[in-house]
Formats: sequence, structure tokens, C-alpha cells
Amino acid sequence: MRTIKGVQISRGVVSGPVFYFERGRLTIPRHFIRKKDIGDEMDRFMVALKSSQDELCQVRDLVVDHLDEDHARIIDAQMLAVQDEEMIKAVLDLMDREQKNVAWAYFEVMEVYEKLLLKTFSQFFKDRTADLKDIKKRVLQHLHGENKPNIPEIREPSIIVTEKTSPGDLIHIEKEFALGLITETGGYNSHAGILARAFRVPYLSNVKSVKDLISRSEIILDADNEEILVDVNDEIISRYAGRIRDFQKRRKQIITVKVANSTFNKVPYHIYLNAGFVDEVKSMNPKLIQGIGLFRTEYLCLEHNRIPDEESQFQAYKSVLSNMDDLPVVFRVFDFGRDKLMAMLDLEIIQDEHVFDEWGGIGFLLENPEILRTQIRALLRASIYGNVQIMLPLVMFTDEVKQTKKIIEETKADFLREGIAFSNDIQIGAMIETSSVLDELDDLGKLVDFFSIGTNDLALYLIGSGRTADLTKNYYHPKIFHAINEVIIAGKKTNIPVNICGEMASDHLALIGLTAIGIRSISVSTSALEMISKLVASMDTRQLGGLAELILNADSAASIHSILAQYNQDCLVSSD
Amino acid sequence: MISREIQILNSHGLHTRPATAFVTEASKYKSEIFLEYNGVKVNAKSILGLLVLAVEPGSKLMLSVDGIDESEALEALDTLVKNKFNME
Repeated sequence: MRTIKGVQISRGVVSGPVFYFERGRLTIPRHFIRKKDIGDEMDRFMVALKSSQDELCQVRDLVVDHLDEDHARIIDAQMLAVQDEEMIKAVLDLMDREQKNVAWAYFEVMEVYEKLLLKTFSQFFKDRTADLKDIKKRVLQHLHGENKPNIPEIREPSIIVTEKTSPGDLIHIEKEFALGLITETGGYNSHAGILARAFRVPYLSNVKSVKDLISRSEIILDADNEEILVDVNDEIISRYAGRIRDFQKRRKQIITVKVANSTFNKVPYHIYLNAGFVDEVKSMNPKLIQGIGLFRTEYLCLEHNRIPDEESQFQAYKSVLSNMDDLPVVFRVFDFGRDKLMAMLDLEIIQDEHVFDEWGGIGFLLENPEILRTQIRALLRASIYGNVQIMLPLVMFTDEVKQTKKIIEETKADFLREGIAFSNDIQIGAMIETSSVLDELDDLGKLVDFFSIGTNDLALYLIGSGRTADLTKNYYHPKIFHAINEVIIAGKKTNIPVNICGEMASDHLALIGLTAIGIRSISVSTSALEMISKLVASMDTRQLGGLAELILNADSAASIHSILAQYNQDCLVSSD
Repeated sequence: MISREIQILNSHGLHTRPATAFVTEASKYKSEIFLEYNGVKVNAKSILGLLVLAVEPGSKLMLSVDGIDESEALEALDTLVKNKFNME
């Protein structure tokens, strides 16, 4: 038996056969066609070229806005290459001469260009083969059809093993077929990471030479202990059987008990869920939960590998709302961080150059109002199917909220003119997660219907640690508690609710502290829900008064941590 | 058909950005436009063709244009090349 170590991206333990695939190897359908089919194949080709072109246009706009005209010219070159008349002639010629299907012909023509570039004497021109590969991949993807993956089909539930995943890989794998995931590279916040956690697929990354995992027998992926067991015998398998069964049970039954709606002493408490995928929401029973406190709409872009059009967005939002009966669903408008957007658009050519400034949130959308307008239209159209609330991410200035509300009002006016129905009762909230907005809370409170604190980014802004650093202990920093306290005070002044939707609310000790200083509404991930619900039901707010004072007077993260740990031990012992 | 010898003065030769500018300009004209370099002749409206020529800085190429707007095309492209594609 061999044991191989990795880094946990998503928890769980499974056993199963290995399904290995190599990234970047496109599977090209190869078959011969009849002469009379050439016209149809050519039509398909032109449609694929047009779609690739449209996609590149979208990419170009974003590059111009956030990088510069110089980088956009690389995209221009790609656009020209997609529509290259000599290339099109060569493809047609090859289909005609050798009766090869269009994907095959296109692949061969592009191969010829790649080989010619490799033969040149200049490294610069040799390097351009990367651009050609990029173009080829994009066009072939469109030739395959809208959502067909570029990965071989998996025929049985397996542990997927690959060097690195690319956007879209995991989403295209039938969920029940992906038992687990193992990669050489890929971080906690990669697409695959986000998806794996959302769908509870155990995932280990940073595993060395994954090719060695290929084996005839089943392997065990123990993400909880960050190890993989290969060449296992029956004895070892039986030793793991219990844990594997438990995990399978946990994985399937998402929410089984009704979520608590008040504390031990009957103080009302809202526990909402965080979600990002339509499928994820479909597995939730609206009778047991209180609503979605954060629906991350940008995940739709991950699924589509582009910003979806109004109709696709509308269908997705409608589907989420229909599934939630009349429970509130807080849709956070697209929150593109640099990493998310680059990954989504598959911008490999400029991925290595760290030239993008930090940007994202509502500021980005206001700079690209056509994206925001499309999303607002889709949300308003869907609003008649449930309880839509709109949340603005990464608000920096009050003015951004004013501008967004203006766009919403304009869209409503358009709808009245166009005769499109929408709900008149849509609440609008601002996410509090930057330090600059903390100075404008009173003004902001008058403009919105609720505040929602994103503790992950807030910690980043207030304490300034890098995104990759371990943020867990930052939650206990006095600066965070003071900032949240300010938001609670501002919320009381303007009479609007304050919600917490970051990871902090899923932390047992941190949540005790948050409740002590007055938080009564949180949004957590499904994996933390059961634990959090039990905790809320066991808390007695009458005992928490003194705790708030202790926390707000503490001078370090360590002392806040020990205050909370002490309280947990003394007062909540019975809860477990 | 008219022809003229042109010289690429850009520091990196006819790399992606100048090639893009050249193809974009050439595509504005109805005439057929060709570039010949080291004995290889390519359609100047094809970016892939231009890239595989891998034109080194300082190289001389033969530009030939054939069609109803050939003289305007030749002048415009010649100027573009002389101005280093308005990039340097």
C-alpha cells in the first residue's frame, strides 16, 4: 500500500476507481462525411466561428476597461485569426478533398499553422502557438455544441484525477459520477474548489505526479486526513468502510431537520443559507429552511463560461425562486474579483501577468453598466416568481448605491412601458465589506433596506492580510468586532436589519461573540447549517450581555478568542 | 497589379500587434493583397499567414496589390509600415 499526501480543498472520504484525464488534450471527433454534407458542416463551422468571435468581443471589452488597449490588441489578433479567410478556405478545401468532418479538418489546418510557427527561428513567433491553441480550443468547444465538455465521458462513478482543472471541467461532469477530485495544482478558491465544496465532493490538491495514481484497483481518497491510499487490500477497505458510508449519508441528506428560528430564550433569529448554483437550491427543502441569504450570481458565469444573457439568467433566477416558495432569496449581483473573471473567461494569455488592479463588486458593474442592466432586467422579470432581494457587493461609496437604484428605477420604468410584470416589493441591500464605507453608514442606511456584512473581505480590508492567508483567526480581531458593532448601531439608527454572510458566521465561537454584540441574522453554508442551528437554539441572550462588553473592551484577537472559548465551556457545555 | 518593396522597422519585427494592424488595414480594401518574404507568398488579409512568415526586424518584403483600389491600398499600407504601425 502507498500513501500520498495532498492539501484539503473540500472535505470527505470516498473510495472508487480512478478516472484520469490529461488537460489540454482535446478529444476531436473524427469521421468521414459525404460530399453533400459539406454545406451543413460549413454552416456549423461558421456558427462556431461567430460564437467564438462574440465571446472574444466580450473579453476584449473587459480587457480594455481594466487593462489597456495594448493587451486588447492580443484579443484583436485572436479575433482576426478566428475569422481568417485563408484558414476558412483551407478547412473547406480539406473537407472537400479528404471528406473529413469539420472539427477534424479545422484541427488539422490549425496544426499546420502551429507547426509552421514552431519552425520559425524566433522565440517570439514560436510562443504564438499558445495563442493558436487558445483559439483552436475556443472554436472546437463551440463546434462541440454549447455545453459539451472537452473531456472524455465518464461511464461510472469515479475519483477524477488530473494535473489541473480548467473552468467548466467539473461542472460538465455528471455530479453523481464525480466521487472525488485529485489535482496537482488548484487552490482553495479555484473553480473546482468552489464547486467541490458546494456539491460536497472531496478534493485534494497539491498532489505530486498524479499520473502515478492510475491503478486497476480502487483507491481511497481521505480528504479529511489529507491523504490518498493506493494499492489497498480488503482489510484496509473494510477499515474505511464505516467512514465512507457516513460521508455518503451526510453528502446526500443535505438538510433534514428544521432550521432553528429562535434562541433558547425565544428571541427570533434568522439563519439563512449561502448558495451559488441552481442545482444546489433544488436540493433544499423550503419547508425546513428560512431562505437564501446570499445567492452568488457570478457562479452562473462559471457554469456558462461566459456572462449569461438575460434569458438564461432569468431562467436560473426563476428556477431558484420557484424552488424556495415565498422565502426570501438575496441575489448578490455579479461580484467579479480579478481571479474569478480571469478564470471564467479563460484568459490564459494574460493570466501570468499580475497587471489587473484590484477591482470587483458594484464598482465594476457600474463601470460596465450593460452587464448590470441585463442582470437587473433578468432579476426584475424573475421577481414575480418569489421574494427577490438584491444585494450590492463591495460597496465603497453611498453614491454607488444611488446609481444602482437609479438603474433599477429606470428598468422598472422600461418594464411599465414594455408591459413586463415585476414585483413592487424588492428589497435592496448593501454589503458592508470595505473600510471606506464604514464612514458612510448613516447615509447608506437611509438608502437601503438591509446591511449584510461580508466578513471575509472586511477582514481583508481592516487587517490587510492577503487573500490566500489563513483568515480563520482574523475573525477574532477587535477591529472586526468594533466594525460590526458600528454597523449594528447604524442599522438601529436607520431601522434596518443587519445580516452576517461571511465565513465568520459559520465559526462556532465567533458566532457566540456576534450574537453577544447584537447580531440576530446570519447566512451560512449548507455544510455548517446543522451545527449553527443547534448552537443558535442553545444560546440564551440573557446571559450574553456581559460578554459583549468584554469583547468590545478586549485588546487582541487572542484575548477575544479566550473570552469566547471560556464562555463556550462554562455556559454551552450542554449543547453538544 | 502594383508592387513595392517595404521594410519592417519595428523593433520586434512583424509581431502580433503590427501584424494585427496590417491585416486590419489590408482588409479595408477590395483588392487582393500579398506579402512575399523569403520566397513565401501569403495573403496579407490573413493574420495566420503573416504570423507564420515570422518577419524579423529590418527585413524587406515585397507588397503586391491587385484590384480596383490597388493604388490607395498600396499607399495606405506603405505609410502604415513606414510609421512603424503608429506604435513605436
